[in-house]
Amino acid sequence: MSKVIERPRYVCALGGAIGTIQSLPRAIPILHSSSGCGGNLAGALSGASGYNGGNYCGGQALPSSNVSERDIVFGGEGRLHEQIENTLKVMDGDLYFVVTGCMVEMIGDNVHAVTKRFKDGKLPVLAAETVSFKGNSYYGYELVLETLFREFVEPAPVKDPGTVNLWGVVPMQDVFWKGNLGVLKGLLKKLGFETNTFFGQGETLENLKNSGKASLNIVVSEAYGIEAAKVFEEVHDVPYITLPLPVGDHGTSRFLRTVGKALGVDEIKIEKLIQEERKAYYPYLERLADVYNDLDFQRYATVVGDPNYTQAITRFLSDDLGWLPELIVITDILGEEQKERVLASFGEYESGLRPEIVFDEDASSVVGYINRHWPQNQGQKYYKGFAPGVIIGSVMERDTAEQFKVPLLPVTYPISNRVVLNRAYAGYSGGLTLAEDVLSLVVAHR
Amino acid sequence: MDYIKHKVPPVREDRLMACQAYGGTCGDLSNDSKKGCLYASKRTFSQTQGCQLNLSLGMISSMRDAVMVIHSPIGCGGNLIQNAGINKVFQKLRQQSAVGLRWINTNLSEVDVISGGEAKLRQAVLKAEREFRPSAILVFNSCVPALIGDDIDGILDDLQKQVSARIVPIHCEGFKTKIQATAYDSVYHGLIRNLVGEDKSTKPAIIRTPEEELEHQEKISKTVNLLNVGSMSRIDEEELVRLLKALDLNVRILPSYSHPEDFTYAHEAALNVSICATHDDYFVEHFQKLYGIPYVLRTIPIGIANTNKWLRDIAAHFGIEEQAEKLIAAETAELNKAIEPFKAEFKGKTAFLTGGEVRILTTAELLHNLGFEILGLRGYHFDKYGEILLEEYMEDVPNSEKAIFNIGSGQVFEQANLLSKITPDLFVGHIGVNGSAAKQGYPIFPLFGQSDDYLGYKGVYEVATRVSRILRNASFNKNLGKNTRLPYRDSWYEQDPFTYIDDSASIAARIG
Ligand code: SF4
Repeated sequence: MSKVIERPRYVCALGGAIGTIQSLPRAIPILHSSSGCGGNLAGALSGASGYNGGNYCGGQALPSSNVSERDIVFGGEGRLHEQIENTLKVMDGDLYFVVTGCMVEMIGDNVHAVTKRFKDGKLPVLAAETVSFKGNSYYGYELVLETLFREFVEPAPVKDPGTVNLWGVVPMQDVFWKGNLGVLKGLLKKLGFETNTFFGQGETLENLKNSGKASLNIVVSEAYGIEAAKVFEEVHDVPYITLPLPVGDHGTSRFLRTVGKALGVDEIKIEKLIQEERKAYYPYLERLADVYNDLDFQRYATVVGDPNYTQAITRFLSDDLGWLPELIVITDILGEEQKERVLASFGEYESGLRPEIVFDEDASSVVGYINRHWPQNQGQKYYKGFAPGVIIGSVMERDTAEQFKVPLLPVTYPISNRVVLNRAYAGYSGGLTLAEDVLSLVVAHR
Repeated sequence: MDYIKHKVPPVREDRLMACQAYGGTCGDLSNDSKKGCLYASKRTFSQTQGCQLNLSLGMISSMRDAVMVIHSPIGCGGNLIQNAGINKVFQKLRQQSAVGLRWINTNLSEVDVISGGEAKLRQAVLKAEREFRPSAILVFNSCVPALIGDDIDGILDDLQKQVSARIVPIHCEGFKTKIQATAYDSVYHGLIRNLVGEDKSTKPAIIRTPEEELEHQEKISKTVNLLNVGSMSRIDEEELVRLLKALDLNVRILPSYSHPEDFTYAHEAALNVSICATHDDYFVEHFQKLYGIPYVLRTIPIGIANTNKWLRDIAAHFGIEEQAEKLIAAETAELNKAIEPFKAEFKGKTAFLTGGEVRILTTAELLHNLGFEILGLRGYHFDKYGEILLEEYMEDVPNSEKAIFNIGSGQVFEQANLLSKITPDLFVGHIGVNGSAAKQGYPIFPLFGQSDDYLGYKGVYEVATRVSRILRNASFNKNLGKNTRLPYRDSWYEQDPFTYIDDSASIAARIG
């Protein structure tokens, strides 16, 4: 039996699907659900995601069939048909995507039968059954990708060796998704590849439609988007690799080597790029030489959040910044297989560090783990605890940070005490940004 | 009204014949509403809104020393996530030691949908008790457990024997109603049934000497329950308390940001003072029925006219009219002088307002008083309380019967279309629709706010200063207006704004 969760950091599949669709250029989600579902999810999608806002069509602008008790008795398919028809008239989009809430699943509406009637129209109308009780936001992301890959991406028998697709960075759940996707795209460009990220700045639906001609799919996650990659491979015959989200020199250099190898890039070329990037990266860190050492900037750290970020930040803190990120709390609902893959993404640190990694979905559990890892003061005179310490997590760790009197940098979802626009933490440049943000906290009280 | 014996309250469509889709003018609405045939109207194209679970959480998630259990799949109650890190700040304004939001989601899965979610509900309630030892556990019921038929009340009755927190079931499944305000009834229903009154089985009754009893009764005879709303700021509360204290009354503030124990003796009061009929009619009527406590429900103290009406209603109950008139005279004289310069500044400016029926009609009157011409209003829904207020509004504000009145929560496509036609100088909006109006370039004044004052006499002045500030530089929204686009086809703006309201053809023709 699945667990009850204290303060979950994600919403349902419907929410994940809406967040994903509204991050595509000019795509219009159509909700087939109770009238309240969209409004309920809006705060989680935009307010808790660094004030991401609703993009082109989000929040209360989302078309919704708003089924209520009467439709539930008589079935909601008629209402959905009417809603789609009128949505096409009122809403200005290039792609329409029906997603469902749990009610219509329970009454047995067949949304695919309804959307099929719009098949030969000028505008594409897709559908996915994003039933809430089958999974959370990440599952919704996965379902939307799978549907796009099966039904929207056009077959391309001839592959283009210079084009790749990249996903695994989940819009909204990764609060810095847009910036991150841009950075990764830029790095791959330097390796000589054009990249479709679908959700990044400047992407078009045309790119998505033609993404079947890519020669490789790169999933920057050991947890999310992998099922969709399997679908892509099955339908469009494009292989995939998975690898961890990179932040900073050590993470990003590993990323470039893995991707470069999979793409058959000459090793010398890869190493040359890494050297160039380092030449731009370390002069910035060099500026910290005095202050880092004069003021003893090394810290213990607890990292809390999703698997993508926790591993990326841990490697950055350990290997780039020379900190001691000794405790990692991963808060997502993961299957056994996923857990294993995720665990494997932590490790092989230059620093030789072996962090304690726990899986726990409950927000208030974090305090307990910190207390166990750095035992509490029992009134003794000589005592060593979580000090000097820093927590890198979400805004939900605010109380915990207060309790331990350590600074908190919110990087993982939810974030409601920072405004995020185009900031990125991925790549070399993202590492510098993260160093700026976290060290600013350390000097803030000076 | 007597629904308290039932496990679940009725929905507002049935209880108040509340309407959620209409387009016309204030005059039309007033006439059509009196004929009583508005509530059946619907939309053939609609956008999303909130559900009553959502609004129930908005109303009562701020309760201190309580844990919420949301019995649902993982997404319901998702709006709480954005408040997880910030609500504590507002709670602390009421109690220094407040801890912030705590909730547990039962995370219903496919297996639970087939075999029932009851075990999960038990787990969640016991976990809330074990981990947090709160004074109350509020259990919110969503769509799925309602459809699969979980026996919520049975389980919670049983659990109440095992935990020391008071358990409050709140039946607020979203699909039952399109009138979100039904949430207020659901919450009050749960609170009245489970928190009001001492639990004599656990606590011995308080014994008082005859003198003490006399003193106690004397105190009760001057105590009012001031029913606040979730959108009210602490400064709003302080302004109303200031006015009530000036009438020598004791004030108990309920239900938002209250402590569960504040309800235990809520029936020891002389009067329930509401600031919003949409919010409180269910509560005050039941309190009258159950405990014989009269109430004041007519209006919200926004703007001079309505603040005066509100105070006079309260004073009439206590027979202290003279004292109230003195207070009103002194306050209004001082205020009128202070707002004089704004009247010159706002003269000839136009405004459009959207939000709850009570709030927008009174705020419109306030703005009218400051010199604005009100071009139109959009109410979330409309019922008999709106009918009375609208009538008073039309009496107080000349020529207002020609102003637009649109009804619908959310439905920003109608709003976008309307705004493109009537182009006001100022847009006043409820959260959720302001971003849309901003992208059309309008200066925006938020209808309420957790950090600002809107109510009472001070509120009038504060609103004036903020509106003046906002009108001084609307560059941010103007830039958005020029460089962003709402997700509607150009052809939509050429159509009648009420095209997708069923049975509205004749009304639409009048607007053009
Ligand atoms: S309408 Fe029902 S399913 Fe949707 S958010 Fe509200 S309670 Fe949950």
